[in-house]
Amino acid sequence: MYWKYAVRRVFYAFLMFAVIVFIFSALFNSVADRVLRSQIQETVNGESRARARVMQNRDPNEFLVWKEQRKAELYRLYHLDEPLMSRIFWRTIDTVTFRLGQSTIIRSSAGSQSVMTIVTERIPRTLLLFGTVSLIDLILGIILGMRKARKAGGLMDKATSVGTMVVYGMPAWWLGMLLIMFFAFTIPLFPSGAMHSTPPPEGIGYTLDLMYHMILPVMTLVVLGFWGIAYIARNIVLGTLQEDFIMSARARGISERRVLFGHTLRAAAPPIVTMAVLGLLGSLFGAIIYEGIFSWPGMGSLYWQSVQQNDIPVLMGNLSMTTGIYIAGLAFLDLIYGFLDPRVKVGGKA
Amino acid sequence: MKRDRMAQLRSFWKEFRQVRFGVVGLVLFVVFLIGVVFEGPLLTYRDTNTRWRDMLYWTNSPRYAMPVWVNWFTSKDYAKSAVIEPHNVVEQTDGLRSVTMDFPYEYQAGRPPSDVLVDLAITGQVALSITVERPDGRTLTYTKQTSSSGSQQLRISVDQNLRERVYQMVASAEDPAIASARNPKQINAVGALFGKAQHGIFSEPEVLNGTYKTTLQVTLVGATAKLDRAQVVIAGGVSGILGTDGNKRDLWSGLVAGTKWALIIGLLTSLISVAVGVVYGVTSGYFGGWVDSLMNRIYEIFVSIPLLPILIVLSAVFKPSIWIMIIMMCVFFWVGPVKTVRSIALQLKENAYIEAAHGLGATHRRILFKHMIPQLVPYAFASMALAVPGAITYEASISLIGLGDATVVTWGQILFDAFSSGAVLQGIWWWIVPPGLAIALMGMTFAFIGFAMDTILNPKLRTR
Repeated sequence: MYWKYAVRRVFYAFLMFAVIVFIFSALFNSVADRVLRSQIQETVNGESRARARVMQNRDPNEFLVWKEQRKAELYRLYHLDEPLMSRIFWRTIDTVTFRLGQSTIIRSSAGSQSVMTIVTERIPRTLLLFGTVSLIDLILGIILGMRKARKAGGLMDKATSVGTMVVYGMPAWWLGMLLIMFFAFTIPLFPSGAMHSTPPPEGIGYTLDLMYHMILPVMTLVVLGFWGIAYIARNIVLGTLQEDFIMSARARGISERRVLFGHTLRAAAPPIVTMAVLGLLGSLFGAIIYEGIFSWPGMGSLYWQSVQQNDIPVLMGNLSMTTGIYIAGLAFLDLIYGFLDPRVKVGGKA
Repeated sequence: MKRDRMAQLRSFWKEFRQVRFGVVGLVLFVVFLIGVVFEGPLLTYRDTNTRWRDMLYWTNSPRYAMPVWVNWFTSKDYAKSAVIEPHNVVEQTDGLRSVTMDFPYEYQAGRPPSDVLVDLAITGQVALSITVERPDGRTLTYTKQTSSSGSQQLRISVDQNLRERVYQMVASAEDPAIASARNPKQINAVGALFGKAQHGIFSEPEVLNGTYKTTLQVTLVGATAKLDRAQVVIAGGVSGILGTDGNKRDLWSGLVAGTKWALIIGLLTSLISVAVGVVYGVTSGYFGGWVDSLMNRIYEIFVSIPLLPILIVLSAVFKPSIWIMIIMMCVFFWVGPVKTVRSIALQLKENAYIEAAHGLGATHRRILFKHMIPQLVPYAFASMALAVPGAITYEASISLIGLGDATVVTWGQILFDAFSSGAVLQGIWWWIVPPGLAIALMGMTFAFIGFAMDTILNPKLRTR
């Protein structure tokens, strides 16, 4: 029955994406229309310049008529001549099918002005950075959380809890600035930003160079990130330790180590993983502009670029794609949860 | 009823006092509040709030000056910033009117200031001469000029306007070969002005301590001519508690002015959004059925929108003021407590007294607001405290990208200015560390308070 649940969950994610894109389209309708109109005007102007050279001796009136016709044609193509609701509807359809239009200034590394290309070439870079961070955070967090729960109230538990709270409101990008200043300026140990040296080396050197450039940004996020997960893991494990089956396991004389790793962790793992990944999703998307500090050429940097150059189509396209990835992440989480924890009523009412 | 609640509150406080970091958080919070209340006296530049972006207001400060306390850690002191007012003013009124005044500068620092400025405001036809006499007797003429009419402001900077004159004053002390090889327009004029007249004055000037006496002589022609203002400004290497930024602004004043905005943003956003979230969650749980499903669907839509990206795009498109930004954050922040509140409400509504209230004919509204929501108040306070740092960080992040409200001073905007003028790679640490530290410290304050409440409210987490 799991696959039925999975199909339903995935379908639900798509529906959610469509609804949110519809909300975005309604919210940003006027600015998107304005940009599209000026883009069409530019296209028509460009075409008419080319045409003017070909048909030099024609009637200028005929030329103006052609210009108007061409404009109306393009308006029809992009549904700009239709009423408001229908414009919003068509924009939603376009976005959901990933037709994100043309950028105004920003180009992809290959020179394309298609927003879809510009955004998609950045997705793997963002996933690489934040995926690495999440993995390290998760491992460190669970290890630390288990240790904290085992001696709850002990010195280490208290000290690390205070650590959690100290970094609670610290912006990752600020710590990034400090570390760049220290490790790239005071002691030039790491590069101050970017993903590769220029020009990037070939072969195995490429990977090593990439890792070298990743150290500082990954380190910054991990230093801030794993505390929260440790705290969540500790609380869940602590709650599980008070369950009856743990007491009975202890009463049967099972070693404390096996109680902890065999019984407790097994029961506590699903909520820890979900809570932790949920927290990570939230905090990572909250830290996304952090890429700009390290000039890491991902989706977060694209927000900086498109804001600075006022490239509205790229900004919108980036938002839609980020939302899509976020929703996909949430759906993925539910699927994992249903897989890890058979207690979840698959297909039933939650 | 009322007495009950007071007793509840008192017992809550009793428990709260036991959590040490909670008390630390409370103390820090009070410190921040005091900082906001006494903002006036704390601001070293009174008009920081209104004139932060007015470059004229900051013209007399040095650029990139370090904090004053840097001098405690160096053997060679940096010169402090100072404004020198006129001394020994002598006015002559018979025949031609004239005014003479001195501006003595006691120079004891180990490193020269970054600039010396003469700042004058005059009206009418005026002839003036400004000279400075060094401890070794050499004199430098700033200017000898006659102004025609009308009122005008004169600002003469040693570093920008007087390089050639400084060169002429001290060139005789240097080897003729070295001196003639130097371009007078490219010397370190302030260093040479405050340096010993000896070999190396242009390359490695050795400081010459003592009194530098600037003399201003003004001859006023006609009845209307007058001298409105005269001062000598020493733009030091260090200035104020936290130094100055690349736009000459005093960072301490900026930080103090930003404190109230951080508190307003954090508290207002968390207050509104948690209140909305609690009412929403309770309503959803209490009614159940189709109301619950509908409210759940709406909740899920809001949860599925990544917060920071949507806030960035909204700010980029609508260019909101700080108040609109707070409302925008509330629109997406209220989802925070909903899930927990709903599950608590599901338990609460099964209690016998709710059923009893029903039996007595109480309305839904009465049951919700009199019987259920009051029980959630402690939880609401905990989540409010924990929502504050998020709101502050989000505003700072939006400001960092350059979309902040330009009519106020916030910590995030100070960091935006720092980052966009390259302070990170120039190592201007006093521009970057304090604002971020302030954000982190305020976040820590509310985290301490929130986590302390959390420990009290979740008996399962107790370790004693």
